[in-house]
Amino acid sequence: MFRRNNVAARIFERQIRTPAPGTSIHCARRFYENLVPSCTIYDVECPDHSFRKFTDDGQYLISFSRNHQDLIVYRPTWLTFSCKDEECDTHDLPLKSKRFESFFTQLYCVPLVSGPSGSEFICKEFFLYIESNQFGLFATSTTQIHDAPAAGGAIPGVPYIEKITFHLLRLEDGVILDQRIFHNDYVNLAHSMGVFLYDDLLAIVSLRYQTIHILQIRDSGNLVDVRAIGEFCREDDELFLNSNPQVAVNHVGNGLQHNQSILESSFLSGIKQRLLSFIFRGIWTEETDQTLRIQCLKKKFYYHFQDYVDLIIWKVQFLDRQHLLIKFGSVDGGMSRNADHHTHTSFFAVYNMETTEFIAFYQNSAEELYLLFEQFCDHFHTTSKNSSSMNFITSHSNNIYALEQLRCNKSKANGFQQFVKKMLASLPINCQSQSPSPYFDQSLFRYDEKLISATDRHRQSTDHPIKFITRRQPCSLKFKIKPGPEAGSTDSRAKKISSFLFHPILPLALSVQQTLFLQPSVVNIHFRR
Amino acid sequence: MSAMNSGGISAGGGGSRGGRSWHSTTSVSASGKRILKEMADLNMDPPSDCFAGPKGDNLYHWVATIIGPPGTPYQGGIYFLDITFPSDYPFKPPKVVFKTRIYHCNVDTAGTISLDVLKDGWSPALTISKVLLAIRSIFTAPDPYNPVVPGISRLYLADRAKHDELAAEWTLRFASNDVSIVEMNYMLLIISSVSSSWFALK
Repeated sequence: MFRRNNVAARIFERQIRTPAPGTSIHCARRFYENLVPSCTIYDVECPDHSFRKFTDDGQYLISFSRNHQDLIVYRPTWLTFSCKDEECDTHDLPLKSKRFESFFTQLYCVPLVSGPSGSEFICKEFFLYIESNQFGLFATSTTQIHDAPAAGGAIPGVPYIEKITFHLLRLEDGVILDQRIFHNDYVNLAHSMGVFLYDDLLAIVSLRYQTIHILQIRDSGNLVDVRAIGEFCREDDELFLNSNPQVAVNHVGNGLQHNQSILESSFLSGIKQRLLSFIFRGIWTEETDQTLRIQCLKKKFYYHFQDYVDLIIWKVQFLDRQHLLIKFGSVDGGMSRNADHHTHTSFFAVYNMETTEFIAFYQNSAEELYLLFEQFCDHFHTTSKNSSSMNFITSHSNNIYALEQLRCNKSKANGFQQFVKKMLASLPINCQSQSPSPYFDQSLFRYDEKLISATDRHRQSTDHPIKFITRRQPCSLKFKIKPGPEAGSTDSRAKKISSFLFHPILPLALSVQQTLFLQPSVVNIHFRR
Repeated sequence: MSAMNSGGISAGGGGSRGGRSWHSTTSVSASGKRILKEMADLNMDPPSDCFAGPKGDNLYHWVATIIGPPGTPYQGGIYFLDITFPSDYPFKPPKVVFKTRIYHCNVDTAGTISLDVLKDGWSPALTISKVLLAIRSIFTAPDPYNPVVPGISRLYLADRAKHDELAAEWTLRFASNDVSIVEMNYMLLIISSVSSSWFALK
């Protein structure tokens, strides 16, 4: 049946028909096909900040000052203007309204860096939003030092940062509620890679000391240590060891020296002991024949024993409140750029932090894990139990078009093994790296994913506008997003980088284009008139 | 089983193996041959709950696994040990060190085992199978009269139940992955120790 898809027809349809059970939100979201950010204000005059993102509930726009010292928070508002003439719809927007301030109201500007300026800088790629409490988590750090000597239990080959501070802010008024400082440590802050938030639980990976710090964000605004996984598994293991008669004999009343003796001991760390015994048990139970078992252990376990011992924790994500997906790899692989991660051998393990058991272990070429990822992708994209907006982020497990794209890529890939490695390289996922904007919903719109996508990344931009085409017939072009100046850039050879900030609910987006030379960036506002 | 997938690490981890190489060629012929023979014998007739094999390509550096024997507080634990053969093996004993924490009066805080066959009692007639058997025997029968950790041996002699309880908790915390199994063992131990002291009171 032919259906008209204009707003009036849809409202009429909404009045007379009840959508099929469970599809009411999907039906309501179809209105986004009619309400699109098709109007652009080019090169809008705006404060020279680096704009980070809209929070996932659309309440705040987060930005940082150019000197990386201050946090500036805006409230997105809708454009209003008055007009003297009678038919004001046909008019162009009045000049006065074409300003950044007509869309955004500054709530406050707070310095995140305390102490002498220039000591610490805001890490502008790091921001996590705690939606339930409207808290924001920010990070500041001193500059990172490569070729640092590995002292005091640190592993060699990992750079270090003298001071990393995490700030928990109440975004409503910008009050700093709590801070957590890591000294002489290394946490991968780029794209929030080293930190994962699930509900109120925070996992911070210290690469240098190979420890996963689990913290809880209380409603009161406090960061509370829950446990540290690494050298020990249970929260009271260290206490247990220290209060034990075995060690107390040699080091009476000297806590510091004592701690060092634990760190520098040749014992396997708690997490490695668990992992190695899990692998050992796996091989042991798999082969029931004694001679085959011995052969298997020799070839698969003892031969690689040192390699397993040398594995380091790269990245972690929560699968639920108890289970962590941990990626292990070699030191040099962990420090390389994200792009060539999949060429290194790495391993994925599922660890239950309550029972302190490993329950699964895969190599990064494991088909079994890939198939799980293909079919149950959404189970890996966990952010919290009750986040409704996140349910609509397109993935190949919830969207037929994305799945088709995946199958196409799979058939085009040269070698299934390489394809598996490449796909699994995105695990564990980066926390809050995808925009919940309905314009990225692939059941509504089609767009070139090389130029734009829900994933929060800088992209090389072309002078051509990015087209958003409806999925439904007649597949018409609904709107274009064009970063940069209206007339195109004067120097076409200069490399341009764009980033896009889409409001999660409103038809409102910011595009920021930067040339690699230190020119001011060009900010466009895309909205629905 | 997922652990099967761990086979191909050599592709990525090859670089890190540079440090582990064969010892000087002169000693390989004698000691190397002997170690190879012992490996073959071990594979043919392994002592129960003991496994061992060379780490990477280095014949002189082995890893051994001892599964905590049932009926002891170490039950359910998986213990990893480092074995280093000297270049003049078998005239000198191999060096064996625990890589897994253990609560035992004959194993010191660094994991070194105090065992006569690994020191003065060593004879070239002994083999790695015998050494593993000897180590396994200290799990079932600790020697509290020649301790390296006097605190533990004192407790072992004075209050065996308390000692076993502590040792089982160490196993649970530091030597296992299958926590549920060990936990059950631990619970059973507590129950038996409580009931035995109760019977003693009666």
